[in-house]
Amino acid sequence: MERSLPVWLLAALLVALLILLPLAWLVVLSLSTGAGAGLGSYRAALTDPQLGKALWNTIVLAFWVGAFSLAIGAPMAWLTARTDLPGKRTIRALMLASFVTPPFLGAFAWVMLAGPNAGLLNKLYREVTGAQEPLLNIFSMPGLIFAVTLYTFPYVFIMIANTLELIASDLEEAAAILGARRVTVALTVTLPMVAPAIASGFILAVLQALALFGSPAILALPAGFHTITTQIWSYFQYPPKVELAAAASMPLLVATALLLWLQKRLLGRRGYASVGGKTGQRRGIALGAWRWPAFAGCLAVMACSIFLPYGVLAKAALSRAWAQPLSWDNFTLANVWFTFWQYSATQSAVVNTLELGVMTATVGALMAAVLAYTVNRRLVPGAQFLPFLVLAPVVIPGVVLAVGLFIAYTRPPLVLYGTLWILFAAYLTKELPVGYSQSDATFRGVHTDLEEAGRILGAGRLRVLREITAPLARSGIIATWCFIFIGVIRELSASIILFTPATKVISVVIFDLKEEGQFGAIAVLGLFMLLVTFATVTLMQALLGRDVLGVRE
Amino acid sequence: MPGVSIRGLTKRYGDVAAVEGLELDVAPGELVALLGPSGCGKTTTLRLVAGFLAPEAGEIHVGDRVLSSAASVVPPERRKMAMIFQSYALWPHMTVAQNVAYGLRFGRRVDAAERDRRVREILGAVQLAGYERRYPGELSGGQQQRVAVARALVVEPEILLLDEPLSNLDANLREEMRFEIRRLHEAFGITTLYVTHDQAEAMVISDRIAVLDRGRVVQVGTAADLFERPRTRFVAQFIGRTNLVDGVVAEPGVVVREGLRLRVAAADAKPGATVAVSIRPHTITLLAEGVRPAGGDVNLLRGTVRRASYLGAGVDYEVDVDEGNVTLRIAAPPPASLAPGARVGLAVPVEACLPLPNA
Repeated sequence: MERSLPVWLLAALLVALLILLPLAWLVVLSLSTGAGAGLGSYRAALTDPQLGKALWNTIVLAFWVGAFSLAIGAPMAWLTARTDLPGKRTIRALMLASFVTPPFLGAFAWVMLAGPNAGLLNKLYREVTGAQEPLLNIFSMPGLIFAVTLYTFPYVFIMIANTLELIASDLEEAAAILGARRVTVALTVTLPMVAPAIASGFILAVLQALALFGSPAILALPAGFHTITTQIWSYFQYPPKVELAAAASMPLLVATALLLWLQKRLLGRRGYASVGGKTGQRRGIALGAWRWPAFAGCLAVMACSIFLPYGVLAKAALSRAWAQPLSWDNFTLANVWFTFWQYSATQSAVVNTLELGVMTATVGALMAAVLAYTVNRRLVPGAQFLPFLVLAPVVIPGVVLAVGLFIAYTRPPLVLYGTLWILFAAYLTKELPVGYSQSDATFRGVHTDLEEAGRILGAGRLRVLREITAPLARSGIIATWCFIFIGVIRELSASIILFTPATKVISVVIFDLKEEGQFGAIAVLGLFMLLVTFATVTLMQALLGRDVLGVRE
Repeated sequence: MPGVSIRGLTKRYGDVAAVEGLELDVAPGELVALLGPSGCGKTTTLRLVAGFLAPEAGEIHVGDRVLSSAASVVPPERRKMAMIFQSYALWPHMTVAQNVAYGLRFGRRVDAAERDRRVREILGAVQLAGYERRYPGELSGGQQQRVAVARALVVEPEILLLDEPLSNLDANLREEMRFEIRRLHEAFGITTLYVTHDQAEAMVISDRIAVLDRGRVVQVGTAADLFERPRTRFVAQFIGRTNLVDGVVAEPGVVVREGLRLRVAAADAKPGATVAVSIRPHTITLLAEGVRPAGGDVNLLRGTVRRASYLGAGVDYEVDVDEGNVTLRIAAPPPASLAPGARVGLAVPVEACLPLPNA
């Protein structure tokens, strides 16, 4: 009946293949032992005391990161969304910066700030107090929780702030006019409406911490403990134990899936349905004497997340010795020179990263657009099930995805290992959910009436798509492109398993440089990565004409 | 110019039938309004006619072409129709002229000069000359509405479909646009289906009205037909205000309810059948106590005024009738001479009492 059907069907099949193949292989290999099918790998993995410890560490890390992210993110969200806090725009801008900062870069920076021996803050402390012992040790579980929380709490902030912004003041005023005092209003009206966002923000933070590879690799390994992601990675060190890695991936996969299911349930039941937010103005609550202390508190958080790390990175990039004081003698551009022109891996890694970024973003944005359009306009039978498939990679942590891809593409028919294509497949799969969500929002914004008005006047579906839908969706699609691009250039956890010497990317080179103790070069590359990221974000903000983290104009 | 003929049209969403066995004929050049409450299936019907939806059963004919059936559906772009949407659906990235000219690219080839001429002409007809280069976002609601009308008319469609096109306008403008649409229909004479939930709008605009209820056409007729000779309780209630008195047919031409006996207009209801007698408020005359009606065949009732509301052009009374536990609304001419508690006589012409099947 629909003549354009093959186009949509092909897209749907391609996605199914892209996502299901590595997952299927992951399951198959986890169930195979040397001699045939069985639960041998699971037995080996689950009885490995080291893996048990790693699992426990991961749970501890994820829980506390979730709790602290909530403790920091929720009050800041309330302050910026509902009060007369000064400098809200600044706080939001810094929040965006923190959101796009790769956590592993932050972890590096905090090594330079709070390493037990040379860490700048510890040196300062020793000079001021004359003490011998360091004040802070970032190479510890508390240190790891701290460094991860700094780049995870923005997730909580975004969830809660966006929900708060949708709750019109009249809902609260309706309670007030009936006689409820301010505290009662907060407890009986505001809080229940935000509760799903709070719970879901907590879960989101836990998920981030669960899947993270870079920060534990930088902070936990020197401290002598593993998390599940670093443990899986270690199975890939020589001699590789792929079956074991596959089996160890399963608990992570299941936990992620369960948590996401829980989050969906929480949001789905009352969630945003009650938060219509079409009309309603929001009037800020006067903080009075607390205005400036609250602002100072927010700045202190952002100092840990942005100012101090960026400062120490800049200092390291431009110093002969990063631990020495700032002075003209210590100033140098040698690190820049070394990083880009002497260190052999950098140039090809930069090229690889940008190439992969552009390629993944372009293919991913197009694919996401086609899929979102297919689903939104119900163009194939069963289109309503497509989102489950497309969003499925959300439950696959980067390390686990990499294990699946490694297994799937090191054997015929598609031997992609050793080429950029396997990284491309990994990035594309990983970024598809983000891209899809963005595109979905875009196409929801293009009312079907606009397309039908074209149809009834004589234009076919593909023509309407080209002449009416595409121009209207353009800025949304370009924003999707930017989202994917940013995600790709900072990707570490899948890359670290899938790279080969010829296919290194920037994040992997940074990781290598860490092994060599080249802090100056790390700082230079890290800042370069941030520069590209912020340029992309700026482009995206301009295109969308609004705050990329926000929900309203 | 072809007409539209709809036979046994059925559209289901899961187990729920939005349209069920719908039958309707629209004569060439006629404007028929599809009128009904929300959820009655009127918009679904329109979208089935447009080809945006495929029916589960039934057929839609335009002239001698079958456009929709359960087996095959001609896509919207090949139906030679035009549609005006509730949201106007003007493309925000195109100017007024580009919006209007869009449909001229399809079907019969039109060269650039001819296209510009026709765009200018139609914009003149909807009083938007000089707005060619504006974008929709720069126009008022009423102007956007006119652009949508122009875009639909310029292609000279065989069939014109309108989906509640006036519901986003404010009250004054809405009234003005009713006459405007009627004027354009008389000027262009295109076969038209017009969906609305506003009975006054349907009465002003259409040649005939099809009243829809739960996915079916319950009655088709001119505004006067529907108002004066409703066939069901639903139609009587939906078109204009009415009193409904439930009762049982005692003998031909007589309906009783508890102690109340009403002689009613001739109807073929069998004795023993339950009916609703519809009595329009303006047909009842109030009489001071003891005064005889002026003549004619009337039911004479007695009652007590419960409420009187002065409305300027008339007075709206509620009167508790002595028998039958019935309260009637009465639209009387001013002044409001009767206060609550006053005893009154009611003259109800037999011809104004319409017994309707209870469906």
